[in-house]
Amino acid sequence: MIQKKDFLKISDWLWEIPKSFRQDMQVPARIYLSETMLGEAFKDRSLEQLVNVATLLGIQKYAIALPDMHEGYSSPIGGVAAIRTSDGIISPGMQGYDINCGMKLLKSNATEKEIRPYLEKLASKIQKEVPSGLGKGGQIKLDTNSLNNILEKGAKRLVEQGYGEEEDLINCESGGCLDFADSSTVSDFAKNRGRDQVGTLGSGNHFLEIQKVEEVFDEKTAEVFGLFRDQVVIMIHTGSRGLGHQVATDYIKEFIGLMVKYKIRVSDREFACVPFNSKEGQRGLEASACAANYAWANRQMIAHFIRKSWKSVLGSNADLLEALYDVAHNIIKIEKYNINGSETELAVHRKGATRAFPPGSLEIPEKYRKAGQPVLIPGSMGTASYVLTGTKEGEQSFYSTCHGAGRTMSRHEAARRMSGEEVVRNLREKGIVIKYDSFRGIAEESPMAYKDINNVVGVVHGAGLSKKVVKLKPIAVMKGE
Amino acid sequence: MKYEILEHPADLKIRAFGKTKEEVFLNIMRGMTENLRPAAERHGEIINQKFKVESPDLSALLVDFLSQILYFIQTQKIAYNNIKFDKFSDTEIEGEVEGKKVRGLGEDIKAVTHYDVLFVQKEDET
Repeated sequence: MIQKKDFLKISDWLWEIPKSFRQDMQVPARIYLSETMLGEAFKDRSLEQLVNVATLLGIQKYAIALPDMHEGYSSPIGGVAAIRTSDGIISPGMQGYDINCGMKLLKSNATEKEIRPYLEKLASKIQKEVPSGLGKGGQIKLDTNSLNNILEKGAKRLVEQGYGEEEDLINCESGGCLDFADSSTVSDFAKNRGRDQVGTLGSGNHFLEIQKVEEVFDEKTAEVFGLFRDQVVIMIHTGSRGLGHQVATDYIKEFIGLMVKYKIRVSDREFACVPFNSKEGQRGLEASACAANYAWANRQMIAHFIRKSWKSVLGSNADLLEALYDVAHNIIKIEKYNINGSETELAVHRKGATRAFPPGSLEIPEKYRKAGQPVLIPGSMGTASYVLTGTKEGEQSFYSTCHGAGRTMSRHEAARRMSGEEVVRNLREKGIVIKYDSFRGIAEESPMAYKDINNVVGVVHGAGLSKKVVKLKPIAVMKGE
Repeated sequence: MKYEILEHPADLKIRAFGKTKEEVFLNIMRGMTENLRPAAERHGEIINQKFKVESPDLSALLVDFLSQILYFIQTQKIAYNNIKFDKFSDTEIEGEVEGKKVRGLGEDIKAVTHYDVLFVQKEDET
């Protein structure tokens, strides 16, 4: 059992469990937490899970946990493993089932004062346009050919069809498409689960929020990002829905069966993996890319529905909502890093961790290159969210930062401790419009079930993984019907 | 008790009980289905669906079975709550599940995981 005495303190924000802690660790485990938050890490099995991450074949430098870490089902949520592609593995479980769960932020030219008179109507309209899709599906039902196009072209396909602008692709991680995706690697099971879910939100912690910019920390970067005080923005949190979940399920099952062939053993079956460069590993990567593309298409379609609602409520003369950025927090990305003096290709597995590329990175839109990549971090319901920017210091965590507040209790415990009615009442008392389908779902997402987002963001800011640009406050929350 | 919900910060964790392995499979399926909070159709007809699963061991068999049922529930909109096994071994099961059409689901389950899957036989062999 891991205890505080097993840690080395690297800095006020960084702790290390050395490689000597357990014989099968390939690298040390590093955890980004403040000292006051460190106690929380011992309340679940996230540290043990992080040590397991450190045993993955080909992992480089450190197994990393960010300050929103909590127990998951192999890696902790909030975990990063950068695996050398030449001789390491690929692990779908280390990416998570909701492939390319992530965030998109749309910005308006309006202030909260200008939008307030329309807020209730706008929230209702958006709620109707963007269903949760649970058991009922969404507005769009795709045939196999159309679905395959989305799997291979992602958000690009949606823009081709008129559901967005070229700027949406520029302001999206990877241009909204991983072009090595091959739809033949995705099973019919996965395609059937995704056929009617493009443009749907899902449930749980997925949401839409109308927010305002409450505080500006970095005026210069805020100006580059086109953000200003009291500005109204809209945040989207969702992923690849049933299609992505099934792709992960399919490949975890397949890789469990292949580990004997490749003589690989893992500390937890959910890490099931094969060599990255194997035929099966490459198929897994291509399938994962399909799911990632589906998620980008999903968020693009939702953005289209939101824009439609915006114009419908505010009038056809209302300014277009522009995308600030779209970024994943469950994904495998192929990136290059300096490892022991050599440029090395790594499969960076981010599970509940957001990419945060620094100023100068050619991977980010030209207009953001001097400032750094926008990083979108949602808080728990009704609290705050943040826009941060990537930094050069972020290389220490493979340019990865937190992805949210991080849960501290189970959904059942949250529902026992607080009623949905009470949560709704609290939100309304703060002047927040709330649209939802079930009180139980609301109770499970109560802020008390999460860490304090301000503390979590404080750690990544203090550690230099990403820097605060603005703080956002919700004025309407929509959970999907 | 057929099943109980255990605590986990991220997910749904279920412990199921039974006098036989078949009964455990049935009860954990019911636990999963009920936690999807299906909204039954008023005059929903009973539907049967065949299944066949092969896996390396009993734990993987359970996960793969529940994954298949989850797929059926989400794509067919049917809440399955009964099983008839034609074949049952630690690495292979075959049979039919039975359920009713639903109007929708109140909750989502993304996937069934292998995390912490454990079969325990009590001393009295139940």
